[in-house]
Amino acid sequence: MRFAMAWAVVRREWREIVRNRLLVFTILVPPAILVALPLIVTSSSHPQPLPPEIAAQVVASRPSWASMSPTELVQAFSLQQFLSTFLILPGYIPLAIATFSIVGEKQSRSLEAVLATPIRTVELLTGKAVAAVVPGILASWLAFATLVVLSAVLIGSAMTIVFTDPSWIAAVFVLGPAIGLVSVVAGLIVSSRVNDPRVAQQIGSLVILPVLAIVVIQTATGRLFTAPEYVLGAVVVAAVGVVGLRAAASLFGRETILTRWR
Amino acid sequence: MPTSGHRPASDEEETMTAAIHDEPARRSGTDRPAVRVGVTAPASSTHTVPAIRAVGLGRRFGDRWAVEDLDLELKPGEVFGLLGPNGAGKTTTVRMLAGLIAPSVGRAAIDGIDVATDPEAVRARIGILTETPGLYDRLTARQNLEFFGQLHGMDRAVRDERIERLLRLFELWDRQDGLAGTFSKGMKQKLAIARALLHEPSVLFLDEPTSGLDPEAAFVVREAIGSLRTSGRTIVLATHNLDEAERLADRIGFLRGRLLRVDSPARLRDASAGHTVEVGLGGPPSTAVLDALRTAGATDIAADGSTVTVTVADARRDTPGLVRALVSAGADVHSVAERTATLESIYFDVMGIVPDANGGR
Repeated sequence: MRFAMAWAVVRREWREIVRNRLLVFTILVPPAILVALPLIVTSSSHPQPLPPEIAAQVVASRPSWASMSPTELVQAFSLQQFLSTFLILPGYIPLAIATFSIVGEKQSRSLEAVLATPIRTVELLTGKAVAAVVPGILASWLAFATLVVLSAVLIGSAMTIVFTDPSWIAAVFVLGPAIGLVSVVAGLIVSSRVNDPRVAQQIGSLVILPVLAIVVIQTATGRLFTAPEYVLGAVVVAAVGVVGLRAAASLFGRETILTRWR
Repeated sequence: MPTSGHRPASDEEETMTAAIHDEPARRSGTDRPAVRVGVTAPASSTHTVPAIRAVGLGRRFGDRWAVEDLDLELKPGEVFGLLGPNGAGKTTTVRMLAGLIAPSVGRAAIDGIDVATDPEAVRARIGILTETPGLYDRLTARQNLEFFGQLHGMDRAVRDERIERLLRLFELWDRQDGLAGTFSKGMKQKLAIARALLHEPSVLFLDEPTSGLDPEAAFVVREAIGSLRTSGRTIVLATHNLDEAERLADRIGFLRGRLLRVDSPARLRDASAGHTVEVGLGGPPSTAVLDALRTAGATDIAADGSTVTVTVADARRDTPGLVRALVSAGADVHSVAERTATLESIYFDVMGIVPDANGGR
């Protein structure tokens, strides 16, 4: 593995991304929405207190919230549900970049010239994966930091405790990147089979759906996932990503690209 | 490298293996011819090692053989035209020789390096212009070349120098910061050729370089390719454009699944010419004139107005006798010309195609 080769691919991908308005829109707009939405929902509504049994379950999951007022508790509980959106972001953005990148190369038939150079398949694949994952992760981290700052300003410093909880840290900084990896793998696999980036994104986005299960379980039961559970989830997701990467690598074989990709 | 299943390894293949193993020692010197118009000659290859050698090369896709039994040897600096109709296996051949796809049978080497066992080294020595330019439309001309220079491990200084030289050579220097997507087809094709030359490959593959271009763009690209002829680089020009192959190639190979015939354009024409003579008369030939032609040994006599076309065994030897016979029969001979075979007629002949103006074959 020659990192200079992979880095050349990364730089080339990023140069193309910044000139692709649709892709830039795809990268910048969702994080902005995902920062604004929880702040708007939480600060503008006049929430009813949580039902006692749900409130008890929430406090049992997050003992540090025990000192919160009923209003703060329901605000904290609402904000907690937006954690999943910070797991969708590092999945969605890499998926969009990977599908645009690969389908775009199929359409322009630019890969053949690349494959005619001494670059190895693993270097090309690594470059494409890094170029897709990093913006997604950085966007989600930047959005998270923005949310922390703005919530402290707009809602109150009491809410800072929600975001600095180890569960958020584990989810955003460990599980998020793992989801990004799986998402890129899905993008690679799906893009090798279709010729329209939108179709590839629609199919690939199925990998993000399990994230929504976190929201459903938390809102239905009041039980909040803990940091060790997010880390465990990250390990499982990363393992799936590594296995998927091997499958993607075979689809990304030189001969396959040249003779079967249409 | 696979050799089984299709044909046994021959003595020739054994020799080739030895050539591959001895390759580093043989390629130590450089004796390339001088370079024209700023294209640097490849730094390696001597005349002792063929630039390209293929023995029994074949590729199968499923049950269908795209190419089989391909034997070929090109000298360094040779321009080889690979002619064939669509689906003849030209692209597959180029891809096998360029180390992009593995042969199903047989073996091939570029500068003595086996394409199957060391494709990475082969790819470092070849440049390829694919059927479509395959440029990154959202990158500038310079950025496109920079990227490929990086993939070939070139230093920045060397890269910058070569990029400038090639962009100037192909008259794209003023558009170096223009997005490739905004270029005309001809400019894109020239940029793609510059990309293929950037690392100064010893072998250049051009796959349908003027396909889909308008006549002006095709002319520009053909001129660009023509300027490379004296660079000492081995060039394989895969095309179905007969005129292009005839103008640019030292030798031409006719491919249709197999390599049917290989020779220089002049020898191909010589071998096919010399049999047809066209005679211009003062008027339509009389029966006596036609009989005189037959007596003089002419066959396949065809009259079209005052022009008579005949077939003879040897045009140069038999033409004086034909003229004497015509004059004796009372004909007014205005002109006599040996009809030269065109590459098109040779192509149809070799491919076994009977052209039909109504679209059939």
